[in-house]
Amino acid sequence: MARRTATRWEVLLVVLILVCGVWSWTLSPFFLQRANLLDLLTPYIFLGLLAFGLMFVLVIGEIDISGCSMMAASAAVFAWLVHGGTNVWLAAAAVLGVATLLGLVNGLLVGILNLPSLAVTLGTLATYRGLAYVILRGNVRTGFQPTFVQIGGGYISNELPISLLVFFGFAIGLGLLLQTTRFGRYLYTIGSNREAARYSGIAVTRMRVSVFVLSGLMAGFAAIIYLGFFDSVEADAASASELMAVITIVVLGGVSIFGGSGSVVGVLLSCVLVAEIRNGMQLASISSYVQDIVVGGLLITAIAVGNLTRAERTHALLQKTLGGFRKEVISAETHAQETHVPSRQ
Amino acid sequence: MRETPPLIELRGIGKSYGGARALSDISFSIQRGMVHGIAGENGAGKSTVVKILTGVIHPDEGELLVEGKPRRIHDPRTALRLGIVAMYQEPTVFPDLTVAENVVAGRHPRGRLGTVRWRQIRSEVSRILKELRVDFGPDTLVSGLGIADRQLLEIAKALSSDARLLIMDEPTAALSPNEVENLFATVGRLREGGIAIVFISHRLEEMSVIADVVTVLRDGRHIDTRPAPELTRDELIRLMVGRSLGALFPKEEAAIGDVVLRAQGLTRQGVFSNVSFELRRGEIVGLAGFVGAGRTEVARSIFGLDPLDAGELSIEGRRFEPRSPRAALRRGLAYLPEDRLQFGLVLPMSIAANVSMAVLPTLTPAGFLRPRRERVLAARFMKQLRIKAGSPAQVVQSLSGGNQQKVVLSKWLAVEPRILILDEPTHGVDVATKADVHRAISHLAGQGLTLLLISSELPEILGMSDRVLVMSEGCLVAELSRAEATQERVIQAAAGITESVA
Amino acid sequence: MTSFASGVSPKSVAAAAFRLREFGVLAALAATVLLFAVHTTNFATVGNWQDIAADVAMVVVVAVGETMVILTRNIDLSVGSVVGLTGYLSSYTLVHNQGIPTGIIALLAMAIGLACGVANGILVVVGRVPAIIATLATLTIYRGVVFEVAGGSVINADELPGRFLNLGVQKPLGLPLLAWIAIGIALLGALILRWAPWGRDFYAIGSDPQAARLAGIPVGWRVMATFAISGALAGLGGFFFVARFAGIDVTAGQGFELTVITAVVIGGVNVFGGSGSILGATIGAILVSTINNGFTLLKISYFWLTLVEGVGIVAAVTMNALITRRLQVFQRRRRYVELLAARSHGAEE
Repeated sequence: MARRTATRWEVLLVVLILVCGVWSWTLSPFFLQRANLLDLLTPYIFLGLLAFGLMFVLVIGEIDISGCSMMAASAAVFAWLVHGGTNVWLAAAAVLGVATLLGLVNGLLVGILNLPSLAVTLGTLATYRGLAYVILRGNVRTGFQPTFVQIGGGYISNELPISLLVFFGFAIGLGLLLQTTRFGRYLYTIGSNREAARYSGIAVTRMRVSVFVLSGLMAGFAAIIYLGFFDSVEADAASASELMAVITIVVLGGVSIFGGSGSVVGVLLSCVLVAEIRNGMQLASISSYVQDIVVGGLLITAIAVGNLTRAERTHALLQKTLGGFRKEVISAETHAQETHVPSRQ
Repeated sequence: MRETPPLIELRGIGKSYGGARALSDISFSIQRGMVHGIAGENGAGKSTVVKILTGVIHPDEGELLVEGKPRRIHDPRTALRLGIVAMYQEPTVFPDLTVAENVVAGRHPRGRLGTVRWRQIRSEVSRILKELRVDFGPDTLVSGLGIADRQLLEIAKALSSDARLLIMDEPTAALSPNEVENLFATVGRLREGGIAIVFISHRLEEMSVIADVVTVLRDGRHIDTRPAPELTRDELIRLMVGRSLGALFPKEEAAIGDVVLRAQGLTRQGVFSNVSFELRRGEIVGLAGFVGAGRTEVARSIFGLDPLDAGELSIEGRRFEPRSPRAALRRGLAYLPEDRLQFGLVLPMSIAANVSMAVLPTLTPAGFLRPRRERVLAARFMKQLRIKAGSPAQVVQSLSGGNQQKVVLSKWLAVEPRILILDEPTHGVDVATKADVHRAISHLAGQGLTLLLISSELPEILGMSDRVLVMSEGCLVAELSRAEATQERVIQAAAGITESVA
Repeated sequence: MTSFASGVSPKSVAAAAFRLREFGVLAALAATVLLFAVHTTNFATVGNWQDIAADVAMVVVVAVGETMVILTRNIDLSVGSVVGLTGYLSSYTLVHNQGIPTGIIALLAMAIGLACGVANGILVVVGRVPAIIATLATLTIYRGVVFEVAGGSVINADELPGRFLNLGVQKPLGLPLLAWIAIGIALLGALILRWAPWGRDFYAIGSDPQAARLAGIPVGWRVMATFAISGALAGLGGFFFVARFAGIDVTAGQGFELTVITAVVIGGVNVFGGSGSILGATIGAILVSTINNGFTLLKISYFWLTLVEGVGIVAAVTMNALITRRLQVFQRRRRYVELLAARSHGAEE
């Protein structure tokens, strides 16, 4: 069952995290110090929030590659407003508003016009990035209001990053949303079998639009964290390699790119893992470019392994005997293959 | 007397899907230069035979001989290499390419330098097209071609690849009378050319016109193979259908009340037209007809899945606009789809999740899931319908076909509908489950539910229905009371034969 | 065959829609040229158009490969990074081996690009990694490689041999040499797509991959070929880059993939595969480069270009889907009218 396999994957992630931890420790004993451990995730929290947003879209069976661009565009709006004298908290609200709006555009194009989400978000990826360029005009904006910056970059008693609390808050909230609410159940249902969901009276269109809006909203929160942590923004923020990192986190977290499965815990763990790996590579003085290469390799490996596991899972189900029902256990795939050649209506 | 072996011979072919036997002991021969018709009701096994011939599935028993030699047709490509080509109602084409390119796809004739020989392709395709007397040329984009033309395109493809056996599965279902005539003339010409043709159609009058030999299948069994001239239409129907009604279905007596659903002039352009009927409380109304008659399409439109171009619906006297499944459910109308795997179930999820899928809003106060309520609901239906599974948490994918169907039925019963449309509820299901489902249906009617039963199994329709509506070619052609409805009359109506021919 | 009441048959509508895509871009190009010519004085000069031609040359060369990939319902996002990588490596080789003929350097660039493309192909075909993800990963990986290998170093004009620098400057018959080469590549690409059986297969694969498999087309090998070609041509594009700009740094080609994909998509190549032409992609390339050029002349900041490219892609995807859907509805309606007419005729008899 989707849940059970996810748990197996989560265990694997925990094991990998521990292994990586040992590796990091051999590189530098400083690694295990509490301050360091707590600060491990901090530079990647904005990526983690983007990953949560992407996860929701993937679970319902679509894809959204414009998340980083939405973040950049809304951060650009913030910088422009603040530079022009607007109150920082109003500007922060504007960030969320703009990001949600950008997500809504995606949602309308995919959900209502029924355009392929990959092609659409490829176009909006460029469009929103262009928006960021146009708003910032190549300028780098820095030095935002100190209280605001605390959200993304501040620490409690010099050790506990506030952004980490924010991150876990979202993880808990979104996790509950996915696993304990009707909304979450509908997401999994639509992602597994959109037509069956429609037949059951589920408001499929509305749900599809709303996940893209959610993705946009998460991009807005990611922008706030980003602005706080880096205390600066330029139009190139979160470009290709960050997008790739987000996708890697999501895929490594056990979310299927075909829809219908994935968990917040998995994404959370994989975020920790990716942060650990990068951190470890830094300790090993590996250049950031090679780090990018490694993460890219990680993404590819994760998908290839995922492909193998899916084939295996189907095979395993086929092998399972249930009394006299052995031959009738036909997976949806095989059934689809056998009925591809249309014979009935 | 022929000395040469037949092109294809089937000997003792059998195929099972789990508990259900799709084919048993099928034996007949297909000769070159003859049109071999295969007749039978829905589910008689015609499609399964075609799939075996085209290498899509493998038989469990028996052997296949091609020109006298036993052969195994591993996959569609092997079938193509043997010269076996199949054409379906939905032609497989490349819509973005031209006619000529579709014909030669994957087999472009090459010149010196290995380049494509367009001139040769164009002239050859033109020649074939002219032979087929079509009115489109080799350079026409296939996306602009209608179904009839796409079918002719597939025939052209078959001719171009030197097909020896052309299987046509319900080729005339979407054609106008003119196009049918044209197609028959083409088939005749193919026959002269020595090609063997297998022609599957439920239009019996066509069968008698075009076929040289007819094989009749029933319930997966081979009933007879006879030269067409010897077979009258009535004889054909008798062979297709003739079985004793045997086991009667447990039909409770139900008090039939007022009209609960009224449909007037329902039309969907190109699919069905002017369908009008009434359903009464406590009634089980059967909707019979061949595949393609439009029964499922009518149901889908009533349920709000597809748009209606014209017509009115009213439920319990008030007008009803079938805007979406949600709207239908709100008015107490539910639809159990024909294809349970594609449209009915979410396979990776549990029984409980599937059963509660359509009623989740009532089970989730404030939007939060209550797993225990779902389990209780599922357990209730598991007991009521005798679903054999470990627990409500079991994943639906691992259930047998029959139990899966019961889960889908549970889902719709959980909605507590006033009107329930069932589309092939016992399709692909073992005998015990069939009985359980029938018992449940009958009981529901007794409790005041209204049921519209779409089925291709005549005994089921005749056994369960208080009234039988028959559709043919998108129109409602007959309404028979329980007393009037016999297998022959239903088939006659479904085949479009008017009453005058006794 | 009865035709629709107003006399327009779906066949001609389909053909019209097909041509609409190509001529649509041409019309857009004409409009753009007119617009710029009117608003700026420097636009409509020979010198300016030679500049545009050199820009177009680079885009076209890479677009030919990208077109083939997109035709099969895939995409190659890594071309920008390949341009940077091959450009740097090949010019570095030239700098330290001044005697090597220019042609060999070009071949070297293409060979490196080919290797990159084959790697992409393996990921997509063998690893069954969706093309968008695979090439996003290799985009980062290849860029990482060039950053790592080159450090922050830059290759300047004074390091490159004179005859090489000449390439970027020569204008036989008034058109830059690079443009002539690009024309040659485009012609070769168009020839392949029209006359090579394996080139025709790309269309079939993009139109319906399952049907293509059933028809016996070796889909895996064909898709691999498209990625290999795309990589090799991106390699050539890297060579062009160095020749045109007389030097290269590690950020060369960043964002270039977007320009190329925009050119291909607004040039009428269906982003979902199955239809499109090199001619269309070429016109798209000219359009994109013209807009870039015009913006510069009008002092519109370069940043608007990305925005325009993005909107262009969204617009192209939307229009394409809407046109196809209109056609299907139209066909169904017409069919119904036909059947109705035929049945009433039959009833009369």
